Amino acid sequence: MTPPAIMSNNSTEDKPKNAAFRVGLGDITPNNLGQLKRLNTVLFPVVYTASFYKNVLDVGEFAKIIYFNDVCVGAVCCRTEVVEKSSAQNLYIATLGVLAPYRRLGLGSKMLKHIVDHAELSTTPSIAKIYLHVQEDNEEALEFYKKHGFEVTEKCENYYPQFDVKDAFKLEKIIS
Amino acid sequence: MRELPQKEANLFKQILKCYENKQYKKGFKGAEQILKKFPEHGETLALKGLFCNHLDKKEEAYEFVKKGLRHDLKSHICWHVFGLLYRSDKNYEEALKCYSQALKIDKENIQIMRDFSLLQIHTRNYEGLVDTRHQLLELRPQNRQYWIGLAIAYQMMGKPDSGVKVLTAYEETLKDIPTKPDYEHSEMLLYHNSLLEEMGDIQAAYDHLDAIEKHVCDLKAIREKRAQFLLALGRQQEAEAAYRTLISHNPDNFAYIDGLQKSLGLGNKSLTAEEEAIVVGMFQELQKEYPRSNAAKRLPLRYASGDSFASIADEYLRSMLRKGVPSLFVNLKTLYSDKTKEAVIEKLALGYLAALDKSKGFDHSGSIVEPPTALLWTLYFLAQHYDYKRESDTALGYINRAIEHTPTLVELHMTKGRILKHAGDFNSAMESLNEARELDLQDRFINSKCTKYMLRADKVAEAEKTVILFARADIADPLHDLVDMQAQWYLLEAGESHLRQGQIGKALKRFHQVEKHFAEFTEDQLDFHMYCLRKMTLRAYISLLKLEDQLRSHQSFVRAAQGAVKCYVSIFDQPDGVEPPEMEGMTEAEKKKFRSKQRKAELKAQKEAEEKKAQADQELTKKGGKVDEDPEGVKYTKAEDPLGEALKFLRPLQELAPERIETHLMGFEIYIRKNKFLLALKSLLKAIKIDAENATLHEQLVRFALAVKKAGSALSPAAKTVIDKHWNDLYKGQDLAAVGNSFLKKSEEQGSVPHLISAAIASSLIEPKNDKAEAILFLMADDKYKSTRSLESALVAQKTLRSMRSGRVSEFRAKAAEWFPKATVFQSV
Ligand SMILES: CC(C)(COP(=O)(O)OP(=O)(O)OC[C@H]1O[C@@H](n2cnc3c(N)ncnc32)[C@H](O)[C@@H]1OP(=O)(O)O)[C@@H](O)C(=O)NCCC(=O)NCCS
Repeated sequence: MTPPAIMSNNSTEDKPKNAAFRVGLGDITPNNLGQLKRLNTVLFPVVYTASFYKNVLDVGEFAKIIYFNDVCVGAVCCRTEVVEKSSAQNLYIATLGVLAPYRRLGLGSKMLKHIVDHAELSTTPSIAKIYLHVQEDNEEALEFYKKHGFEVTEKCENYYPQFDVKDAFKLEKIIS
Repeated sequence: MRELPQKEANLFKQILKCYENKQYKKGFKGAEQILKKFPEHGETLALKGLFCNHLDKKEEAYEFVKKGLRHDLKSHICWHVFGLLYRSDKNYEEALKCYSQALKIDKENIQIMRDFSLLQIHTRNYEGLVDTRHQLLELRPQNRQYWIGLAIAYQMMGKPDSGVKVLTAYEETLKDIPTKPDYEHSEMLLYHNSLLEEMGDIQAAYDHLDAIEKHVCDLKAIREKRAQFLLALGRQQEAEAAYRTLISHNPDNFAYIDGLQKSLGLGNKSLTAEEEAIVVGMFQELQKEYPRSNAAKRLPLRYASGDSFASIADEYLRSMLRKGVPSLFVNLKTLYSDKTKEAVIEKLALGYLAALDKSKGFDHSGSIVEPPTALLWTLYFLAQHYDYKRESDTALGYINRAIEHTPTLVELHMTKGRILKHAGDFNSAMESLNEARELDLQDRFINSKCTKYMLRADKVAEAEKTVILFARADIADPLHDLVDMQAQWYLLEAGESHLRQGQIGKALKRFHQVEKHFAEFTEDQLDFHMYCLRKMTLRAYISLLKLEDQLRSHQSFVRAAQGAVKCYVSIFDQPDGVEPPEMEGMTEAEKKKFRSKQRKAELKAQKEAEEKKAQADQELTKKGGKVDEDPEGVKYTKAEDPLGEALKFLRPLQELAPERIETHLMGFEIYIRKNKFLLALKSLLKAIKIDAENATLHEQLVRFALAVKKAGSALSPAAKTVIDKHWNDLYKGQDLAAVGNSFLKKSEEQGSVPHLISAAIASSLIEPKNDKAEAILFLMADDKYKSTRSLESALVAQKTLRSMRSGRVSEFRAKAAEWFPKATVFQSV
């Protein structure tokens, strides 16, 4: 049997090695709100309102920016929604995105995991489920959420009336 | 009537105490009490004046002090008080006289002597200082301060050897030398050592280090000095060992590495191939020993050449681009003075880009996938590289790709702004900077840069709004706070913007504010003369004194002076204000009509502005701010002797920056207008000595010859003799036409646009017909002038055509627009 050290050596010769990089999550503050706006403008066709950005500053851990080698390259923004006749609330992911050159490096997963972890831990309010909408043709996002245990629960017709692809899927994950 | 009765005498002693304890109100009352009974008591009168001074009653202060003195001319107290009063008004010359009077009366008064010596060093009267400090020492030989004060006095007057004698004598009086290192004693010993070094006796200084080492706290200083002295003494091997030890303490200190190189005999500017290999080897060893040292990685790039340079640069660039070091380009651009190195770096970076695009690595080997930021930083680097070469379009291409890749990175927008600025599109540059600013609102640096770009685009109001975003919330007048905070970068940029816009008064206001800061820096010393002697921070104190003596050679002062001189010269040339471009080519009658129309409009605008200002002022006063009585700087534009004012800015430069040719070029502009032919001549001669080939100098030489000719017999015979004597130094025996022609020929040979412009101006002066001058200026359209055809020089050329009232201005503008397609100034309106 070949010793393991040599095996791993062999494998690096076959497959290209990724150079090391650093990833970290950061808070959204009034001072770097400009970066979030920038990101959303290039990542999403929707134009977000001033009240959207105001809310972002109030949701604490449910809105984050992600840094790759100290450069801001993605963000996630959620809001909590009251559920009728329940003390628990739902968490709605309004935006989650990573700049194109930085995809498939686990950044989206890191942000989503952060949101799910905090949803599970949250007690005031406690979170019943996390849900979101994805345009029908956004396959990478669908794959991404399914991989993280989200399920399509509904097809919402004409959800995005302003776009060419108007229909959307609703995906959700039950928390408690 | 000096003696007071017991009761009043006691009271008098009390008010003296009040002064020392800064109880000015109480002291004032006490003085009045004495004066009620003895209204002519001189010393009390003088003290009352001093209290008035501290209670903000200037006029009364002088009145009482002088009155006191009249009643008691023989009192040292009265003279001392008078001196203090002058000192508080910064009238040091008069203050010194008063102190000296006081000391004549009371020869052994320590307090007055101390005050006296303070002003003597402040005014750099070293001869007097040595005297005073000698006396102090004789009176108080136990006091260390007086010994050291005397040594410093000797050093500053250029006699470090006498300083050493004083210190040695002092050290001999010391009975119990502190056994444990004691900071103050240690500092004195190191100061002693610095005097030995200044004397040039390096051996003595070296031996002295050994002797004092066990008493010194600052061991780093000892180690550094020892290494330095060993090197100076030619003891190479020991020096090498000493520098190696220093490097082990800080492997990023360039000076240590430089010392090591010199101790190895490799300190020369140009190295043989063999030496080069050794130096590179030395750095490779250092890198191995200190893998975290940046200096060891960066410095070999300075020395290596050829293939060795290429391979070191390759490794360096890859590691920096992988890490993402924003300052990479700034770090490397000094290497660009060597064109081959520039080309190698360019080729490497372009290679990385191609490889990253295709296979995500710096090369096509496919062994490593670089992080996406590697592509980003490579694009960023290339953008800066081509911007440096002034290939604006290429640079913009790269920076736009980078922004598309990662639009959130602040640096990219800043660099885009810089590229646009260099291309001459100041408004778009400003917008890019504003985008950068909005990405990170808490970064004061970006905010300031953005402000600067707004000023470059002459958007003063927007700049003001932006810069005060970082003002403290509790400040009534944040803009003025910038003046108080000595934010010179802002004042200079604002002043230069006003100058560009022809707002001479406002511009001068800013330049004078900068000048005032320098006066404040000089004043600030006063506190240190006492403090440093007391705290024994001697080496820092000496370097402060030396710095203060050079203060006005600082770039900020030079800029302020250049701006102010331009302003004052323009006031002299155009007392009616700067002519706006619309007035170009008008006849006098048309100008008159235009002016009166303009004045009417101005009056109307002024009235509105005044109403607005009155309102703003009211609010400001409410908030406790101080109202600016002359926001337009009218008092400067109305200066009676503008050239004299200009000279005030020039003189410090003549003294402190005589090696800069600009100093003398400015001097010429002032003197020639004042008809001071000999001083103008002197400026020319100095400029020739610095750079006889300077472009502007040629134009000035021609102007000088013409002015001398025009003055004719008005020139005094004495002046004429001197000028004649130097005529050949200026014109090399040629007549003016020949001077002009040979200069033009040289400019063409060199392909230099600034020289062409100077040649054109000179030509238009020699023969006041435009066609020749115009033809010269249009030469710059030839491709061989491409490398020197900067945006600035094209602007100057256009301005020159304008002032010649040439008919070919728009033709030129169209050409310039081709050369600088982004530059807004050349776009037709
Ligand atoms: C969806 C998005 C956030 C994913 O970000 P990411 O950082 O690339 O995601 P990750 O690297 O963490 O991917 C995790 C997993 O999701 C799946 N996935 C992500 N992108 C995928 C794609 N294009 N195709 C197929 N599967 C994909 C994969 O299973 C992937 O794991 P793997 O890389 O080990 O195969 C990103 O593509 C994006 O920003 N898209 C644009 C914005 C958007 O549409 N957001 C969703 C609406 S809110």
